[in-house]
Amino acid sequence: MGCSEDHCITCSDAAVPMRVRRLDAASGLAQCVGDDGEASEVDLALVSAGEGDTVLVHAGVALAIGRPDGAVSDLAGPDAPRR
Amino acid sequence: MRFVDEFRDAELGRALAGEILAAVEPGRHYKLMEVCGGHTHSIYKYGVDDLLPANVELVHGPGCPVCVIPMGRVDDGIAIAHEPGVIFTCFGDMLRVPGSAGTLLEAKAAGADIRMVYSPLDALRIARANPDREVVFFAIGFETTAPSTALTLKRAKAEGVRNFSCVCNHVTIVPPLRALLESPDLRLDGFIGPGHVCTVVGGRPFGFIPADYGRPLVIAGFEPLDLLHAIHMILRQLAEGRCEVENQYKRVVPWEGNLRALEVMAEVFALRPHFEWRGLGFISQSALRLSDAYADFDAEQRFAVPGVRVADPKACQCGEVLKGVIKPWECKVFGTACTPEHAIGTCMVSPEGACAAYYNYGRFARERVLT
Repeated sequence: MGCSEDHCITCSDAAVPMRVRRLDAASGLAQCVGDDGEASEVDLALVSAGEGDTVLVHAGVALAIGRPDGAVSDLAGPDAPRR
Repeated sequence: MRFVDEFRDAELGRALAGEILAAVEPGRHYKLMEVCGGHTHSIYKYGVDDLLPANVELVHGPGCPVCVIPMGRVDDGIAIAHEPGVIFTCFGDMLRVPGSAGTLLEAKAAGADIRMVYSPLDALRIARANPDREVVFFAIGFETTAPSTALTLKRAKAEGVRNFSCVCNHVTIVPPLRALLESPDLRLDGFIGPGHVCTVVGGRPFGFIPADYGRPLVIAGFEPLDLLHAIHMILRQLAEGRCEVENQYKRVVPWEGNLRALEVMAEVFALRPHFEWRGLGFISQSALRLSDAYADFDAEQRFAVPGVRVADPKACQCGEVLKGVIKPWECKVFGTACTPEHAIGTCMVSPEGACAAYYNYGRFARERVLT
């Protein structure tokens, strides 16, 4: 209940990546869109994110910004898996 | 979607499983704890443990905030929800957590105005829209959820919303980990670190695990390849005789965490001297209350709450599951008297709970073949 298959709103350790679509600078709230295409209002007070950025959202608050090079960097380096 | 699809690649997963197999020492048994419920959920959803050699065992940790809420706190919530004029708000899973005399869902059926919200900001919106009612938010969660509650209370204070208050059940992850490491019941070889807690607190607070207890910890993301990669990194540390905090989840987690979130939390919260964890007992300085500056928003001060400690049901072995001492299927009531539909214990309620994760993904196989 209250949870999609991929994340649980009650768990401190679950959060979802969303893209910032429109930011209202006055309120610090932004319209963000998730993987499923669903839009929701997100508080961006804790990150320096702009429109187009991918942010990690938990309980209506963006906690971190996805680094542009991040998707590849985590699986790179000496520990990287080899195809 | 970017940051997600790359981390579900089957071919890379098989390659990583091969490297994990190559990194283990035959004859040695490895016991690794995934601290957080989000990891437990991913492990069983994607069958990550099926890709591991038989001598690499994953043990579930205490990182599901729904699971660690003691019954007495649920009773306190229900008592407030029954107060006249109160709109009681909480996250969805909390509705089904049993207290000593039923759940919040049952209290709702009995007439209490209890509403599910997705964020504390939603609860504040309800308060703005109902100025003649008292709106209470039942806050739970680790350091990932606490900033959201803190920001909401800051907004409520700035806007002068007087009919809003909060029952603060926020907990912190480091004290229970230290308690587990001190426990004689459990011998662990390493930890998969809670990726999203670390977006807030960073990697530094976990330094005591290698420094004081000689165990490696790797902060991990939540996709299947993140988990396999993190397990490989832990096994490499063990094979090379290293012991440190490493960050597998660099695409999201900065080493220093989110300083703005930590500042907001420091303003709005203060440490409780002790707090009861379901199954783990009282742990010193392991939870947050509202700071004196926000005392006006503290529902525990605004309403009379029973504040009574309630023992867990005798049949329930959530405590042992939360400490990783037993597996969910080893609990006497798992899958029989205790199911997600009729949960006795908290671990069967949230999808992040180890029992619910096992149950929902049908992972009852107890014997595994070496990959």
